Amino acid sequence: MKKLTSLSIAFIVGIGTIIIINSCATTANIAAKTGTQLWGENCIRCHNAPPSSDYSPAQWETIGMHMKLRANLTDDETNKIVAFLKSSN
Amino acid sequence: MKTQKLLFMVPLLIAFSTGYGQDSTQTERNKNLLSSAPGNTKMLLTGSGFFGFYVNKDKDAKFNFNAFRFAPVFLWKISDKLFFESELELDNGEFALEFTKLSFVLNKYMTLGAGQMLTPFGAYGERFEPPLTEKFPNTPIRPKSPYLPGSNHLVWGAVMGMDVRGGIPLGSAKMNYSLFLDNGPSLDKSNGMVDYENFDDNNTNKEIGGRIGLLPFSNSSLEIGFSGRYGIAGDQGDLVYGKIGATAYAVDLSYVKSIEAIKSTINIRGQFNTLTVDKANYYLTDSTTYTFDNTMQNYYMQFSIRPTMAHSKCLKKTELMFRYNAITAPQDAVWAAKDNNGKGGTITRIDIGLVYWLNWRTGLRFAYEITSNPNGKQTKEILARFVMGF
Repeated sequence: MKKLTSLSIAFIVGIGTIIIINSCATTANIAAKTGTQLWGENCIRCHNAPPSSDYSPAQWETIGMHMKLRANLTDDETNKIVAFLKSSN
Repeated sequence: MKTQKLLFMVPLLIAFSTGYGQDSTQTERNKNLLSSAPGNTKMLLTGSGFFGFYVNKDKDAKFNFNAFRFAPVFLWKISDKLFFESELELDNGEFALEFTKLSFVLNKYMTLGAGQMLTPFGAYGERFEPPLTEKFPNTPIRPKSPYLPGSNHLVWGAVMGMDVRGGIPLGSAKMNYSLFLDNGPSLDKSNGMVDYENFDDNNTNKEIGGRIGLLPFSNSSLEIGFSGRYGIAGDQGDLVYGKIGATAYAVDLSYVKSIEAIKSTINIRGQFNTLTVDKANYYLTDSTTYTFDNTMQNYYMQFSIRPTMAHSKCLKKTELMFRYNAITAPQDAVWAAKDNNGKGGTITRIDIGLVYWLNWRTGLRFAYEITSNPNGKQTKEILARFVMGF
């Protein structure tokens, strides 16, 4: 019980710190973001962001669908990120 | 006159819209034909491989090249609605199918999947366990040798079943969800542990579960997930254990942020799991029975920092990491790690790690792990792994 309490306190303190750090960022509507922004923000949540030159446009479409399902990206985010990677390939 | 104009406009509008419709349909057909033409197949072979060793003065082989894996992942976008993915694993001489799943996009917010799939319970199993995303050369502590018996009790892994999932925009925030129905766990009647990798079901009951992820900030830097699952674990028709169920919950968190002031990107990850198996009597070696409160908990919290905005190229490629892990087995279970008074306690492990990234998917990973047992015994190990993505 004591450990759970400590864990809960650590969790709340952690979240509080994150909110304070994030309060410096400008809030924006996600739908208004470009593919470049979304690529930079979403890929690094799990792994290093890949350069567009690593795959062909057809391969990016496949990877986009894989990431949409694995990371539960929204449809709009996926389409914009894939379009950005294909166009800058 | 007005009526005449209207009567003239209506057929024109119909003709225009029909023509547009036909044109759109034709464009769609052309697009489909083109995408199925040779050379345009959207199939991709990707995956990872690694090789590693450990140094541990308490083991028989104090220095051992013991870890290797080749894990090709096949991805196939059959159409805009149909997707197939599968991973094979050749790991330390064993060959296994990690997952095989077919998904069908129902609409923008919902995709239906079926097959042998990574469990959408917590974030670790689906997202952070693959060698490309797990920055450490080891995984968070779990009920597995050398810590505890069992192998698929309270862990990530694959299940057989189906799920629906999707991402939903909420203005400057977003959420995602995964709901699954699978074979569920099977009970080991010798010790009360369950095996979630129950690919050939032991009963008719199906497990239900899911995860909801919330991303409150528009930069998607923070995600908090809540998961739950419940299913009957006992064998069908078993009068003693047939109704024994297993309930699990998890809370996970991930946070990634590039901070200009320290020229670095910080990454925080964590997950807390708790699993309760209904109370039952189990046999001891002398054929007497005993029972215990069968609840197990484990968690990890990880922090890493990488100076991505530093001037030095070498520094940019270096990432420092720290992870705290803990697992608490049921206090009265005979197989729990015991303290000096014979009571089950918590095993903790501290991992201090370093990655040197050669490119975005290939890196040299090192860790120094210190494991503390409830009886006060401590073990230390150095781990190294060279992971290459392809």
